[in-house]
Amino acid sequence: MTSGIPGWLTRSRRVVWALAIVLVAASLWAVVARAPIEVQMGVVQKIVYIHVPSAIATLVAFGLTFAASIAYLATRAWIWDAIAASACEVGMVFATIVLVSGPLWARSAWNTWWTWEPRLTSFLIMWILYGGYHVVRASVAGNSKKTISAVLGVVLFLNLPIVWKSVEWWRGSLHPRSVTMTGDMRQTLLLSMAAWLVFFLAVFRERVRLEALRHAEEEVERAR
Amino acid sequence: MTALRVLAKDLKLHARDARFLATLALFSLSLVLILSVAFGPLFRDPAREASATLWAALFFAGVLGLTRALDLESESGGGEALRLTGADPFSVYAGKATANFLLMAALWVLLLPCAAVFFDVGTLEVLPEVAVVAALALIGYAAWGTLFAALARGLKARELLLSILLFPTLIPLWIGAVKLTRSLWAEGSIDAVRDWVKIMVVVDVLGIALAAWLYETIQEAEE
Repeated sequence: MTSGIPGWLTRSRRVVWALAIVLVAASLWAVVARAPIEVQMGVVQKIVYIHVPSAIATLVAFGLTFAASIAYLATRAWIWDAIAASACEVGMVFATIVLVSGPLWARSAWNTWWTWEPRLTSFLIMWILYGGYHVVRASVAGNSKKTISAVLGVVLFLNLPIVWKSVEWWRGSLHPRSVTMTGDMRQTLLLSMAAWLVFFLAVFRERVRLEALRHAEEEVERAR
Repeated sequence: MTALRVLAKDLKLHARDARFLATLALFSLSLVLILSVAFGPLFRDPAREASATLWAALFFAGVLGLTRALDLESESGGGEALRLTGADPFSVYAGKATANFLLMAALWVLLLPCAAVFFDVGTLEVLPEVAVVAALALIGYAAWGTLFAALARGLKARELLLSILLFPTLIPLWIGAVKLTRSLWAEGSIDAVRDWVKIMVVVDVLGIALAAWLYETIQEAEE
C-alpha cells in the first residue's frame, strides 16, 4: 500500500523529527531562561517568540498551497494536490496560534484584546477564507475535488500580500513595520523562527504522507 | 456574441421566476428596515449608517441571487447544454456575470431610495457619482460572485459556502462602497476617501482576470 509514497516523504523522517524536537525544546528553554524580561511589558512580551514564528510559518504554508495549486493545475499530478491541501491544513493550525497569541499580547501592549487595525483585520479575513478552503474541499466529491481546491488555492493567495503589506498600505496600524531586537532577544527570536519552521516541515511531511497513503488506498480500490 | 446569448438566457430565466424576484426584493427591503431600526430612531451619522445599511442589504441579498441563478440553470439543464455547445468559457462567464450585475443593479435601484428616505440622506445632485460608486462595487460583486458561484455549484449548503468565500474576499469592495457613498451623501464629494476608488478598481480587475484564467478549469472540473 505504501508503494505510491514518494521517497522524499519517508527519507530521513526520523532525522527531521529529532531536529524539530531538539530545536523546539531549545527555543522554549531560550524563551524561558535566556531571553531577558522586557521592561515595559514584562513576561507577556515573550509571546512574541511564538507569535512571530507562527505568523511566518502561516505565510510559508499558504504560499506553498498557492505554488502547489498552480503546479497541480499545470500537471494534474495528485502529489501537488496533496502538498497544497496539507500545507493549507498545517497553515490553519499556525494561523490559529497567531490569532490566539495576538490578543494575549495585545491586551498587555495596547490595553485591548482586539482592535480593528489593518493587519489584525486582514489576518482574520485570511483565516476565514482558508477555513472556507477546507469546508469546500470536504464538500466536493469525486474528481473535481482536486481541481476546485487548486483554483481556490490560487484565488485565496491574493490575501497574503494584503496581510503582508497592510502595515505599510494603511495608516493607523499598531503592528510595527519591522521587529528590531538585539542581543539575547534577537538570538532567541531567530532560534524560535528556525525551530517552528523545522517543526512545520516535520508536521507538513507527515500530513503529505497521510495524503499519499490515502491516494495509494484509492488506487488499490480502483484496481479491484 | 456568445456572452450576449448567455446574458439573454439568464435574464429570461430570471424573468420567468417572478415569485423569486419578488421574494428577493422583499427580503432585501426587510434587511434595510431591520438595520434602520437597529441604528435608529436617532441617527448619529445618518450618511454613514445609511450607506452601511444599503451595502450590507445588497451584499446579503446578492448571495441569494447568485445561487438562484445556478439553481435555475441546473433545473433547466442549461449549464450542461452550454458546455456541449463548446462555447468559449470566458464568454459564458461574461454573460453570466453581466446578468448577475444587472440583477444586483435592479436591487440597488430598489434599495437606494428606501435607504435615502429612511435615513433622510442624499440629494439628486450627487446621484450620478453615487451610481458610479455602485457600478464599481457591483461589477466586482458580480465578477467574484459568478466565479465563486461556479466553484460552489452542485455543493450542499452552497449559500453558506458562497458566503464564507465571497464576503471576506469582497471586504475591500464593501468598505470602499460604504466610505465613498457616505462621503458623497455627507460632504458632496469623495476627496477625503479618493484612494478607495483605486482599491475597488483593482478588486474588480483582479476578479475578472482570475475568471479569465480559471473559469475554463472550473467548467472542466464539473464535467
